[in-house]
Amino acid sequence: MQVVWAIFGSALNIALVLSLAPLLHGVMRRITARIQSRQGPPLLQPYFDLLKLLGKEDIESGETPGMQRLAAWLSLAAVLAVACLLPMGFGAPLNLAGDVILLIYLLTLCGVSTLLAGMAAGSTYSLIGVSREMMTMITLEPLLAMALVVGALHAGSLRLDAVLNGSVYMGGSVPWSGLIMVTVMLLSLQAFVQRVPFDVAGAETELMEGPLMEYSGPKLALFQLANMARLVIYCAVFAGLFLPWGSQMPFPLGWLLFWVKVFALVLLVTLVAATHARYRIDQALRYFASLLGVSAVALVLATFGY
Amino acid sequence: MIARERLNQLKDKFGSAILRADLPSDRQLFVWVQPEAVKELCRHIFRDLDARYVISIGADDRPFSGKFIVAHDFAFDTDHVLCSLLAQLPGDEPKIESISGVVPAANWAEREMRDLVGIESVGHPYPKRLVLPDGWPEDVHPLRKDVPWNHVPPEFKEGASFEFEKTPEGCTVVPFGPFHPTLDEPAHFRLYVEGEMVRGCEYRGFMAHRGIEKLAESVMSYNDIPVLAERICGICGCVHSVAYTQAVEAAAALRPPPRAEYIRTILLEMERLHSHLLWVGLACHIVGFDTLFMQAFRIREPVMWMAEKITGNRKTYGLCVVGGVRWDITPELKAELNQTLNKLQAEWEPLVGAVSRDKNIQKRTRGVGVADRNVVKNAGAVGPVARAAGVDIDCRRDHPYAAYDRVDFRVITATGCDVWSRVVVRMKEVFESIAIIRQCLEKMEPGPLQLEIKDELPVGRIGLSSVEAPRGESHHFVITGENNRPRRWRVRAPTYQNLQAVPAMIRDQQIADMTISLGSIDPCFSCTDRMETIELRSGERKTWPQKELLALSQGKK
Repeated sequence: MQVVWAIFGSALNIALVLSLAPLLHGVMRRITARIQSRQGPPLLQPYFDLLKLLGKEDIESGETPGMQRLAAWLSLAAVLAVACLLPMGFGAPLNLAGDVILLIYLLTLCGVSTLLAGMAAGSTYSLIGVSREMMTMITLEPLLAMALVVGALHAGSLRLDAVLNGSVYMGGSVPWSGLIMVTVMLLSLQAFVQRVPFDVAGAETELMEGPLMEYSGPKLALFQLANMARLVIYCAVFAGLFLPWGSQMPFPLGWLLFWVKVFALVLLVTLVAATHARYRIDQALRYFASLLGVSAVALVLATFGY
Repeated sequence: MIARERLNQLKDKFGSAILRADLPSDRQLFVWVQPEAVKELCRHIFRDLDARYVISIGADDRPFSGKFIVAHDFAFDTDHVLCSLLAQLPGDEPKIESISGVVPAANWAEREMRDLVGIESVGHPYPKRLVLPDGWPEDVHPLRKDVPWNHVPPEFKEGASFEFEKTPEGCTVVPFGPFHPTLDEPAHFRLYVEGEMVRGCEYRGFMAHRGIEKLAESVMSYNDIPVLAERICGICGCVHSVAYTQAVEAAAALRPPPRAEYIRTILLEMERLHSHLLWVGLACHIVGFDTLFMQAFRIREPVMWMAEKITGNRKTYGLCVVGGVRWDITPELKAELNQTLNKLQAEWEPLVGAVSRDKNIQKRTRGVGVADRNVVKNAGAVGPVARAAGVDIDCRRDHPYAAYDRVDFRVITATGCDVWSRVVVRMKEVFESIAIIRQCLEKMEPGPLQLEIKDELPVGRIGLSSVEAPRGESHHFVITGENNRPRRWRVRAPTYQNLQAVPAMIRDQQIADMTISLGSIDPCFSCTDRMETIELRSGERKTWPQKELLALSQGKK
């Protein structure tokens, strides 16, 4: 029974993420357009864009085409593997197959595949993008790891269902470490999903999409889909870790509530992206570093049970 | 008689070298000098008298005098005088000592002179090709009178490429352009980058040189050229058309009727409005703030509609003829224009507020792309780039033309020398432009639009004209000629000088600041066309007329 559930639940999560991510992207574009006094594209436009790209000729323009293809698959595969590990309205389908450490690794793998993609392409702008992405990852990834560790400390377990259940708030009457971590993560969510003001690695007007500049056709479609899915995944991690309320409700309600939370987070990301200018890489790094300092305090508090 | 004073100063110092001087008005001074004295005279005018370098012009005068002509134009901005220093060179060996050593701003102009007219500047510090393509043979100079306008030399080498300098040690090369999302026209900057820092760069541009000057000098007529001039730039077309007509009018001592001058002023200011609104939006786009970009474009659009109502076109106004204008502003248009301005002012104020309050934009633009007084002076930079460095120059006030001597306005300056100061200068200039148009509409009296010109224009006269384009001074130099067309017409757009300041602006800055620094001198933009869609399955064609496109994009019927 458990095996059947794991297979069925994983398939469901993957299907939902793959099919809803473009829609959420479409919603994002529509809302952005409204803020900018434009009409905006139809809601389903991202689906058409992806289909169009998938139907195009696969041009091998980088230095090592094999690696480029691998990177494209890897980025999507990593995101979808995470989808199987997350509770999305019901328990995580592959709950016991891995713990939060695996989750951290897989999320990092998404970033690594972008690095691979840029390095395999080998053009100057890609490499600048890669170096920016690398610097961003080094300062950014510890934030998420710390948030998960704070949760794990309070839950006393690394199990996914224990940690991704609002466990960060379990310390004391006033959950100091949880409150600090939720603030830090809110302030850095924009960077995890690579939107303005922290889209420094791809910065269209500076680096022409950076690591992805040599990509076109089906490979670009895979990367774009992976990026859209990445937004959903990070919102789901955030919802699991910091917004557990209502997830215990019976099936359709809890499940619907989960997607409402994701939608609300996407809305937040969109609003921030539409009202900010891009940071320069050094400014962004300084910002992340200060967040890192704050979250270290939360970690110390968490070890003492606060 | 300040022009005469300046002339006497030069005569006192260089008495024997000055052959002849013309003072057609108190605003323009032409000094013919011996070629040997040109360099020292330029140094004196540029350094000791602190004049602003404008441009150098080479002309092939062999069919008429057997000689080549070299002219160096300077501006005494506080004296309101434009000065041209001319020298004749022998027809068989056109050589002159380079002035780029003492006037760095002449670097490009002298190279262009060598490429196009074949006048060699001896001792040029960087004697590389500027305008001609790399495969073009050395001894063919397109602007010489014995080269036909459609000549393609058979020796042209297809695959030749530009030789760049050696890459400095420890630096990698980042090619910026010819195609880049923030470059609207092809140009190539070869950036030498250390990590994220730009240490130096080399420039190769002029990839789409269209030979407009040659076309004008050999095919078109006096009144065709304003229409051609308008197509020099995708934004400040009207500026070039006005500058050209004014140069011809100055050469032929004509003065258009007052109403025509007011109408020119109004359309020039409308052009500045739409250009500045576009630029502020573009600057926001470059630093990733697309919402303000879109809002700026929305606010700008009614100005374009208004231009279309007055002239029939959004951008190419077709306004000028020698001695006047072609379009009138009727009372209905006047009322509508006033309304548009009111709406524009009401919408622009909050946007200026939003940009001014935004910490992010300031973080990206303060202390970035710095060009101080020194850089401005040495590159001959003009317009907002100069004014943002506290250099108080504006042709509308310093060399008044059209109706600018009859309206009140402030010249906006700032002292930051950086991109942010340029943003501030441009944002505030929008309000001044609105005020100027309002005053013109108020003061304009009924009257004729064109001067009746009965005689042929005199031959061999020289005319100068400087017009303040949105990005700075556009300077035109005309020698009138036979067959109802000029012998020589030289256009100097503001970007020609401002671009020469870019290497100094981006040195030792982050590569991320490159685009906004380059953008801050305001690159050009091309206008959109009507479009056609084809239904693939049925092969049915549907042309989208403007009305449907407008309805599609903004719900405006």
